[in-house]
Amino acid sequence: MLCLIAWVVFGILGLFSVKYRVLAKESFDCVFRRITFKKCNSNLDERIKSKLTGNLMKFSPKMARGVYRHYEFLSWIFVALFVVSLVLGAQGAYNLAMYDNCAGPNADPDQCIFTPDYDVVDCDDPLCDDGHCEECGDDCDCEECS
Amino acid sequence: MMNVEKIRKDFPIFEKKKFIYFDNACMPLRPKVVIDKINEYYTEYPACAGRSYHDFGTRLTDEVANARDLVKKFIGAKKAKEIIFTKNATESINLVANSFKFNSVLTSDREHNSNLLPWQKFDHDVVKSKKDFSFDLESFSDKVKNFDIVSMVHTSNLEGYSLPVKEIIKIAHEQGAKVLLDGAQSVPHKEINVRKLDVDFLAFSGHKMLGPNGVGVLYGKEELLDGMKPFILGGETVSDSTYDSYKLEELPHKFEAGLQNYPGILGLGSAAKYLMKIGRNNIEKHENMLKSKIDIEGVEKIGHVGESGIFNFNIPGKGAHEVAMMLSASKNIMIRSGAHCMHSWFNSRNLEGSARASFYLYNTLEEIDTFVEELEKIKKL
Repeated sequence: MLCLIAWVVFGILGLFSVKYRVLAKESFDCVFRRITFKKCNSNLDERIKSKLTGNLMKFSPKMARGVYRHYEFLSWIFVALFVVSLVLGAQGAYNLAMYDNCAGPNADPDQCIFTPDYDVVDCDDPLCDDGHCEECGDDCDCEECS
Repeated sequence: MMNVEKIRKDFPIFEKKKFIYFDNACMPLRPKVVIDKINEYYTEYPACAGRSYHDFGTRLTDEVANARDLVKKFIGAKKAKEIIFTKNATESINLVANSFKFNSVLTSDREHNSNLLPWQKFDHDVVKSKKDFSFDLESFSDKVKNFDIVSMVHTSNLEGYSLPVKEIIKIAHEQGAKVLLDGAQSVPHKEINVRKLDVDFLAFSGHKMLGPNGVGVLYGKEELLDGMKPFILGGETVSDSTYDSYKLEELPHKFEAGLQNYPGILGLGSAAKYLMKIGRNNIEKHENMLKSKIDIEGVEKIGHVGESGIFNFNIPGKGAHEVAMMLSASKNIMIRSGAHCMHSWFNSRNLEGSARASFYLYNTLEEIDTFVEELEKIKKL
């Protein structure tokens, strides 16, 4: 089931390289077949599993055995983690766009590193002209300029 | 006895990378002499052979003649004109299938697609193997009288089993049938003498005998080739033409249409010379010895069990591709997996495929040990 993650990853990489576009297509085909309860007929999953196991064999045959035997279960864990992080990421992006705070409208803005940190424009700032801040907008503290 | 360490120094790739190469039945590595010969063509006389009378052209014409002569010696042919350069063994077999006059053909049940598909449009039958996967000579003797040509693999790319070709050829000739041997897996690994075998046609590829890709050979007895019309026509195949007729060239040129793969032909000549210097009897013994050292239980051996340079197997519960990929990822051991272009054989036995390790002159016992160690690990997964 790792083909779901592979599809997203290769889909993004495929924007830049034909090699990954082919893999993205292959993984999409695999995802589609899996969600329609068919057997994945590309061997992408098998390839990922074998490469992973083969590489682990170099360091720890025991760990390789564990991964090989529980590959499907581990795949589902990774997919679940991937989906959860995707949902949380989307939620954060929505909050950031709507409330300037990815943690949510009522949360402490310091919890979100993306929260905009507006600089208060000093009255001596040359951008302040006739009490109106040209670049910073309404949040500037420029009323006293004049 | 071969000095494998010395031989490995002839192959530049061993100095650049660390790997174990056991996919030799598909394609072996190339020695420096072959690579140098290809470079020599492009850097010293990059011209057309047989038609240009300048310095480069005449030098190349001589080099091609020399390569043809080396190949002639390599397989023990009588005359150089019995050596036709083709693209590969597949094209050589197709040439016979399309140019030789016959109605019916008999093959074995362990043919590569190259020696099966070209015959399927004709009256075609197969000789089934015995239970131990050896060739059934009795069944062959019963069948062969009904066929004009017998086209069989000499050494199988499945597990390296060699058919009793001497007997096959003798029986076929007694019954009036001609014999074509697919020598793609035998010519690079064992001494072949076409005159001693009395074989009518022999097809093989350059890329399986340390030569370049895209070049192969069809050997045919002169009298048979003389009676055949080419199935590809073009430049160099004719000595004269009008708007509605042509006069064919003599052998071997009438079968070599268009500009030839000159670097390939020259490289093939060098490969033949290199293999003759080492001696294919030595190579065969070395490969048999390597395979005999594979001692592993719980692995299902595929095909006939006996002396050869190919180890074909499946690990119960593991896919053939899985095994190949794990070997590659763990110790960079390169083997082949799948149906090995022998789908008919696997389909008839309801098998999906197998893993295949094939050895050649540069493989070592240490490599076999590593391979067995890794297989043991995979088996326990």
